[in-house]
Amino acid sequence: MPSKTIAMCVLAACLIGPAAFAAGKEKPMSDAQVNELFATTCGWCHQNGGRQAGKGPKLAGTQRSDTFIVNRIKNGKEGAMPAFEGSLSDMQIKGIIHYIRHLKSD
Amino acid sequence: MREMCRGFAFPLALGLAALAGGCSSESNTTSSAPATSTAMAMPSDGASGKDWPTYHGTFKSYHFSSLDQINSGNVKDLQVAWMHFPGRSVRGVQSMPLAQDGVLYYSGSYSRVFALDGATGKVIWAFYPELDEDLIKKQTHTPYNRGVALGQGKVYVGTMDGRLMAIDQKTGKLAWETKLINSKKLTVGFTGAPLMVKNTVIIGAQGGEWPYRGPIFGVDANTGLKKWEFLTVAGTPEAMKTWGNNSWRTGGGGGWMPGTYDAESNTVWWGTANPAPLYDWSGPDFQHNGARPGDNLYTTSVIALDPDTGKLKFYHQELPHDAWDFDSAVGEFVMIDRDGKKLVVHPNKSGYIFVYDRANAGVQNVWRITENSNFVKNIDPKTGALIGRRDLTAGKVDQPLCPYIAGGVSWNTGAYSPATGLYYKIANEWCQDMEVVKTRPILEPQAQLNIGANFTLRAPPGSDKPWGHLDARDPVTGQKKWEVKYRVPPLASVLATAGNLVFVPDAEGVLHAYDAQSGKELWSHSDGVGHDGGIISYSANGKQYVAVAAGWGGMATDDYGAAFGEPFKSMSKDSGALIVYALK
Repeated sequence: MPSKTIAMCVLAACLIGPAAFAAGKEKPMSDAQVNELFATTCGWCHQNGGRQAGKGPKLAGTQRSDTFIVNRIKNGKEGAMPAFEGSLSDMQIKGIIHYIRHLKSD
Repeated sequence: MREMCRGFAFPLALGLAALAGGCSSESNTTSSAPATSTAMAMPSDGASGKDWPTYHGTFKSYHFSSLDQINSGNVKDLQVAWMHFPGRSVRGVQSMPLAQDGVLYYSGSYSRVFALDGATGKVIWAFYPELDEDLIKKQTHTPYNRGVALGQGKVYVGTMDGRLMAIDQKTGKLAWETKLINSKKLTVGFTGAPLMVKNTVIIGAQGGEWPYRGPIFGVDANTGLKKWEFLTVAGTPEAMKTWGNNSWRTGGGGGWMPGTYDAESNTVWWGTANPAPLYDWSGPDFQHNGARPGDNLYTTSVIALDPDTGKLKFYHQELPHDAWDFDSAVGEFVMIDRDGKKLVVHPNKSGYIFVYDRANAGVQNVWRITENSNFVKNIDPKTGALIGRRDLTAGKVDQPLCPYIAGGVSWNTGAYSPATGLYYKIANEWCQDMEVVKTRPILEPQAQLNIGANFTLRAPPGSDKPWGHLDARDPVTGQKKWEVKYRVPPLASVLATAGNLVFVPDAEGVLHAYDAQSGKELWSHSDGVGHDGGIISYSANGKQYVAVAAGWGGMATDDYGAAFGEPFKSMSKDSGALIVYALK
């Protein structure tokens, strides 16, 4: 893990889904939906779709646990990543974790 | 009173002492000795003198001090006179200090405001507003603040939760506050400095990639009543037609840095931010395809407003249908009179510098300060028309886009010296690999960024790393006289003085002083942390000082650890200071 920080923009932004992903629709997200969500709000900080370090750490291959990532997404980190609790549904967070776990480094 | 002070869309006239007391009970304010200023004296020659009363030094945006006690002959004897630590400096100190009658005013993160004795640094008062911390936790472009405005015996500051506050300049007590935007819904607020024009405080909201309409507000300086609001997205019927598919509803825009004022024509000049999403997938037929078909007025534009009414007088859109996030939000409008023409020089984030007629924003020239640029082939210097646009489509982009999203020039300012006739401006050389992705705006339950791409910082062709340079150029023609290169792109503002000096606070934490005529480095000193804010010169008790904001962190700087390694990997992003220099 290149940094203890899960970048503010990336994960936090990922928690908030577009209207089509709104909370209440607790269907699992498709890969295409998660890719769109990532590029909407996460990619500024987690560069190359999370495959490289930028403002936030590289997400591909992270050794962080799902529990840690969920907590970081929900609560953020001051000055490093926004908090997304209440913005992203649990299903959207699961979608993001699934996305991260299947990322391959360039 | 708390509810009254915070009621959204209900500007409150709280200028009276009783009401001010009610509101200020929410704030943690300390006070010892009063400051003394009321009216703002604005030199007409473009140079600031003993004071630095407004963000750009004077309304001519020169960032030039007429003080010359510190000069090229004695700058070697410059040393730290005093320092002040604002505390809680998350993402550094990014503000431009102001000075008036020997008192220095500046803001830190979380809109903390300080009045300090300019000679000693002794705290006269400190103002810590109570903010909506739950909201701020959810923001991305936060919690920094880029400055205050002075006038009518008050100090004005914006907040990230959507308020404009007026602080009594003598006591540090809250005089009034007005809620201007619904930040809980829109997520964004105010980080830029206000501009004081006559009896109106003007402040622009964050916007850009945030899906709203980027308002700029005029507020009565005495009462806090909102006088007007100008929407930078579809703010007129003409502009509404430039947003296909009702995309104006989530268009972005905004004007988050303070512009300036032309008193001769009673005109406020302001630069606007980019449309959302940042990157569009329209391809060449952007008038009909993509996320926001059309020119997208008045994003990425310079606009001229009547300060009394907020009415648009005229404008020039620097990049019609900006598909690259090269906005016009830089607030620097350098007013030059030459050959009988009244001109204004404005840098666009892309690195193209526009020269306008001050009467109507007619393009007089366009020149480029960056070496690496390929989003267009050129911009017509006679008309401002984009030549050879590179409009992207969804998918991997086959050639890196230059410059990088952080811009060919930063939001921080350059400086113009009427003594040398040169414009001193930082430019940066960097590019990005990218993949454009079709996205949709996110509005519920709370607005979110709309980027529209994944991207990666890249060195420009022929270089191992991104780099930057300070150029000394003719502001109208762009002719270069000298250049200083930096191994790491600098981002902070530049100061020029009548002492034949140019000061550059660099990214690695070193403050440099150069000979303004030759570019020869004459002095440097480490401030211990990177710079990404303002620098001014002022006089207190007859002695000249140079004050620089030091502190690191932000949307541009947060890349530096991954890109350059040390000192940025370990550089603190929660430490900042105001460092003030004087001669031994």
